[in-house]
Amino acid sequence: MSAGHLLTVSDLTVRFRSHGEAVYAVNGVSFDLDAGETLGVAGESGCGKSVTNLAILGLLPKPAGRVEAGSVQLSGRELTTLREEELRKVRGSEIAMIFQDPMTSLNPVLRIEEQLIETIRAHRDVTVQAARERAIELLVAVGVANPESRLRSYPHEFSGGMRQRVMIAMALALEPRILIADEPTTALDVTIQAQVLDLLRRLTAERGTATILVTHDLGVLAGMADRINVMYAGKVIESGTTEELFAHPRHPYTVGLLRSIPRLDGEAGGKLVPIEGRPPDLIAEPVGCSFYARCAWRQERCALEAPALVQIDGGTQPIVTTGAGATHVAACFNPVAQAEVAEGRPAAGRR
Amino acid sequence: MSGQRLLQVKDLEVRFPIREGLIRERTVAEVRAVDGVSFEVAKGEILGLVGESGCGKSTVARAITRVVKPTHGSIEFDGHDLAKAEGEELHALRRRVQMIFQDPYASLNPRMTVGAIIQEPADIYKVGTTAERRARVSELLGLVGLDPRFADRYPHEFSGGQRQRIGVARALALNPDLVVADEPVSALDVSVQAQILNLLAELRQQLGLAYLFIAHDLSVVRHISDRTAVMYLGKIVEVAPSIELNAAPLHPYSIALLSAVPIPDPAIEKKRKRIILKGDVPSPTNPPSGCGFQTRCWLKEKLGNPERCSTESPVLRETSSGHQVACHFPEKA
Repeated sequence: MSAGHLLTVSDLTVRFRSHGEAVYAVNGVSFDLDAGETLGVAGESGCGKSVTNLAILGLLPKPAGRVEAGSVQLSGRELTTLREEELRKVRGSEIAMIFQDPMTSLNPVLRIEEQLIETIRAHRDVTVQAARERAIELLVAVGVANPESRLRSYPHEFSGGMRQRVMIAMALALEPRILIADEPTTALDVTIQAQVLDLLRRLTAERGTATILVTHDLGVLAGMADRINVMYAGKVIESGTTEELFAHPRHPYTVGLLRSIPRLDGEAGGKLVPIEGRPPDLIAEPVGCSFYARCAWRQERCALEAPALVQIDGGTQPIVTTGAGATHVAACFNPVAQAEVAEGRPAAGRR
Repeated sequence: MSGQRLLQVKDLEVRFPIREGLIRERTVAEVRAVDGVSFEVAKGEILGLVGESGCGKSTVARAITRVVKPTHGSIEFDGHDLAKAEGEELHALRRRVQMIFQDPYASLNPRMTVGAIIQEPADIYKVGTTAERRARVSELLGLVGLDPRFADRYPHEFSGGQRQRIGVARALALNPDLVVADEPVSALDVSVQAQILNLLAELRQQLGLAYLFIAHDLSVVRHISDRTAVMYLGKIVEVAPSIELNAAPLHPYSIALLSAVPIPDPAIEKKRKRIILKGDVPSPTNPPSGCGFQTRCWLKEKLGNPERCSTESPVLRETSSGHQVACHFPEKA
């Protein structure tokens, strides 16, 4: 039940329709989020991870994109049916978002000062002077040196890492309860990424902000997330605590992801195990398991029937959806055995 | 480096002038993109070149393939100096040094069929008869794991990973000795990235190719390359066998860089000590005096800011066999 959870997304279904064609972008995504936790979302291009977030915030491109089923509830309040002006109050003050590219998400012709003050005053009834003081505080919090003079700068005068800090300052300006960070460090160099992640970790911990961190980089998730949802073709196909998911991945796609990335501490010269083929384009309505075509563990049943996200080891405990005790669930009829994880392929005689 | 030397780069310098003025144009400053870089690549070897945006790694690639002309230094390739070659000599040398690009969307002409794209190098160098060139296209497509029947299709019909395979086939068309691969997998999803990395490794085995493999992702570079060179602000700061560089880096920048790479293992991530560098990379238009890294160096700070760091630029010197580092105090790191 949604009672008690800060955010409850249930059976969210998003389609993009144009010229009589449909793109099945998000196909029944459900998850809960509580205050203070960081939910990581992993998946490759086109898996629906960004669209899910846009749907939560009511930012789907109109008129093509629509939530066709499901609900998004913030503390029990339904967001998908809110009117635009009500949604605007939610965005920023309750749920804020940081995007991948800080250059395109800041207005290039306005000084940082104007953008920060505008954000604050759009939601809070304060004087320009008070908003300005708050802006300076925020820049100090995100580690921008000389905040008073930097307020007078334009976005192009900042480096990529600094711009992302300004974005974080702006996102946290109204002390939102939920922060959605969509690939926040993908455009940054690795040493700058370390700075920004460090900052995000510290600020969200201090404020108890619940975070949804979307990234394709499993290394980043390993260090940042409490729980992880792995997405494929618009569905969550595996979910569990970060420790559990890395130690005992059960879905063939999760195993494939883990085995296809070179690791800095991996054995040298080892061969990577790529996932053959490529993700399905989502123009056809999905039938059966979406991973079927690329799966080494597939069975006949998988082509016809879509597996539900269930507790794999069939425990009798009730499913826990949030927090450190979250239940490990996967959507697979023929899950990977622990002994097969290291090799990344099914054991001989398995198929 | 072991084995026969294929490429030797010495004191390579590439500077780009910044000009101002419309009528009387004058040079007001220079970007020192590559500022005295020396390294070698042996036959059949993979040398990885890593560094962050703006460190000059792509300009090194562009100088070696002679897309830009170096302002100073030499690029010796099998007895010829690529830095100074012109005309016929350059034309002949370029055939043996080929490039794979980062963006599989921008690097293939959308109006040409895949067959025409892969055949173009042979057309330019007038290799073989028309029938032989066609047969070669089929052979190359097979070599990179694509169906030879794809030759009649256009690039837009392919996914990013397949396009990158087409780019690899084109680079191999003339049997080069050296392939310069500039971020060849960074635009690809991880599952597809692994396919291309495996392909590049197999082709090296099969064809005895040498690669200069340029990337910002240290895990990828460590995986594929025999040796790794780390660049910072136009200079190589450390070179070592890839395994050794990861196990025992000596330059304070390499140490910080390696510590910042996330490892997909929550148990390790929890225990790791990160060195978080302060600030940003200085501008290559106005590099700091002395050591280029001194403005962000944690070691310099730890050692009480020795004067030498800000007055003298450290040279790349060998500390043990095959391991070179450009730091005044590598033993203190």
